[in-house]
Amino acid sequence: MLKTPYRRQFLATAAVLAVAFASAVPGVGHAQSKVTIKIANSQWLDALRGKNLWAAIAKYQEVAPNVSLEQVAIPSAEFADKLTTEMGAGQGPDIAIMQEGLFFAMADAGFLVDIGKATEGVKLNKTNDNGMIDGKRYGIAWQRAAYALIYNKPVLDAAGANVPTTVDELIASAKAASAKTPGVIGFGARHQINDLSGWYMDFQSWAYGYGVNWTDKNGKLTINTPEAVAAVTAFKETYASGIIPVGDSMPTQRTRFKEKHVAFSIDNSGGTLNIASGGALASKDIGGAAMPFKNPGAHQQIFLGVSKHSKVQAESIKFLTWLMTEPAQKALREASGPDALATDVPVSEAYSAANPWAPAFVKLAETSRSTLIPGHEVETMQIMRFVMQAVEKVILSNADPKTALAEAQATIDKQF
Amino acid sequence: MTASKIRSGMTRLVPYAFILPPMIYLMVFMFWPLGRQMYMSLTNTRIINPNRGRFIGLGNYQRLFDDPAFYLSLKATLAYAVLAVIFGVALGTISALAIDRPFKGRAIVRAILLFGWAVPNVAASLIWLWMYNDRSGVFNRLTEALGIGRFGWLTSIDLALPSILATTVWQVAPFVMLVVLAALQSVPHEVREAARIDGADGLSTFRAVTLPHIRPAIQLAALLVCVWSIRRFDIIYLLTGGGPVGTTSTLVVKIRQTAFENHELGMASAYGAIGLVLALAVAAIHCTVEQRRMKWMAR
Repeated sequence: MLKTPYRRQFLATAAVLAVAFASAVPGVGHAQSKVTIKIANSQWLDALRGKNLWAAIAKYQEVAPNVSLEQVAIPSAEFADKLTTEMGAGQGPDIAIMQEGLFFAMADAGFLVDIGKATEGVKLNKTNDNGMIDGKRYGIAWQRAAYALIYNKPVLDAAGANVPTTVDELIASAKAASAKTPGVIGFGARHQINDLSGWYMDFQSWAYGYGVNWTDKNGKLTINTPEAVAAVTAFKETYASGIIPVGDSMPTQRTRFKEKHVAFSIDNSGGTLNIASGGALASKDIGGAAMPFKNPGAHQQIFLGVSKHSKVQAESIKFLTWLMTEPAQKALREASGPDALATDVPVSEAYSAANPWAPAFVKLAETSRSTLIPGHEVETMQIMRFVMQAVEKVILSNADPKTALAEAQATIDKQF
Repeated sequence: MTASKIRSGMTRLVPYAFILPPMIYLMVFMFWPLGRQMYMSLTNTRIINPNRGRFIGLGNYQRLFDDPAFYLSLKATLAYAVLAVIFGVALGTISALAIDRPFKGRAIVRAILLFGWAVPNVAASLIWLWMYNDRSGVFNRLTEALGIGRFGWLTSIDLALPSILATTVWQVAPFVMLVVLAALQSVPHEVREAARIDGADGLSTFRAVTLPHIRPAIQLAALLVCVWSIRRFDIIYLLTGGGPVGTTSTLVVKIRQTAFENHELGMASAYGAIGLVLALAVAAIHCTVEQRRMKWMAR
């Protein structure tokens, strides 16, 4: 055993040698300066899409070898809960890829930083408009997924059914398809309050399709308008016709569609990409069309934001700067199906030919509207809970749509 | 100071030393968070800004009592808890009585009856979710085969709460069975035998001999089932999420909705405080009943 003075000398010499060794060997010194950027997204868990999306952004590590990207994969059902809790506690990922509603809540709470630098000199398209709040850019569009009517072409052909342009036609075609091919579900749609966050966004397509504006010119919330009554009535008719698989969750319905057991569905482009990937129903056998409503529908918008709590904010913004470049956007395009991206990167002809449903989504994205209520972005889900409770009441208890929406209006007037 | 005095002083401190660790545990993990929650219920704290809540007095409670959804939630909670106790305890007690006496294959039957208790709540909920499915669930297959059509077990306003109750009872009845079974083992065999020799029939023996012995166990099981039901989240949330039309939206489901959907942590804490009062009221009722019984027995 060494005596104390010798031991101290020995340890000091060892420490000096270790430092000298670390700085002399490039690999070791390099490893010490490596930066890790944590990116949270629920899509990382999507079977094929997640892998492709990650591969697209992971290319940044080739451009910036000192950066290591790390996935934070959170299931979509838990994403908002987990992120709000973590951010509230001063933690969380460096970059969050989040739904528009959550993005507004995060920005409102002051959890996001200005990322305008990342878009300097970039020709952004209109999908980025809502990323600007009070003159500062807190979000950049990751993807915009418009809604469309999708259908199983072979099932429709077998039934000789037409692609519908009205709700009545949708009911008739769905019934014809189910009658011709036993076991086939007529129409897939969310319809349960236990899936509120998905259902209210899907329902916005019905509402907008019937011309609903949830606010008037002065920003006052208008819930019981004739347009809203018409939309709820149409949804009730569809539900009551028996073409919707009551009780099935959306993932179950999508799986059924994948397995050739659904004739029609109203879904967004992201959901449709999932249906078209790796199932029994070939992508070429899926058709896409405008929804059977008079007016344009909704879209789901996903934003990228950098956390205020991140210790690598500058590096995260640099990563976003790279993401706005043409090669990065092109790589993202290949993994994103027909979703609109932050810059205009057209869907290739080859992709459209292989996926005949895709062009309909691209076209509908030109006129689609946000699922959030203008001026009430942060409270949209709270407001829409009352609306969806009214819809639920109408479809389950045969309540009058006008009365149910009037009740919702009264409750909303009290609270907002 | 003599050694014996020191020893006696030490001896007096021993009980305190023993209760100190659990007291510290309770202070840190129960009373402090509880106190924080109570305070939070008097603020407008939001989940995305938990440290920036402003004191608003009884504002949350005022809003809560003005909201019809709160009364619907309270009604759902009470109905769910009371019915879970009635059916859970009844079924558990009957099962315990049935398997108390020896018969061939008793061990297998006991294992089967315990199955519900052994399965994790989330797994059980998912199994029942599939069984309740409108199109392909086993219950609707059965009712269709019987010619009475399909039912929206979880989507109908009238059936959602009973369906959730059925799942709950399936889960809690084995626990009640175990507790009652343990109590049944303690019933002196000679007393039962004496009653039988005196000509008492099965029902009279049960009422006069068995029931007094197992009553404390049943009461305890009922108390636990009631408190668990008031705070049960997983089964309800996974099966209906509080729907349809709020018929299964118990206080705990409302807490989740208020905290995570509306981001109102202060309001969610107020809901939590009401739940706590409910649970304490149940415990108080249990203690009162127990005290009266003890007094009656001492007479």
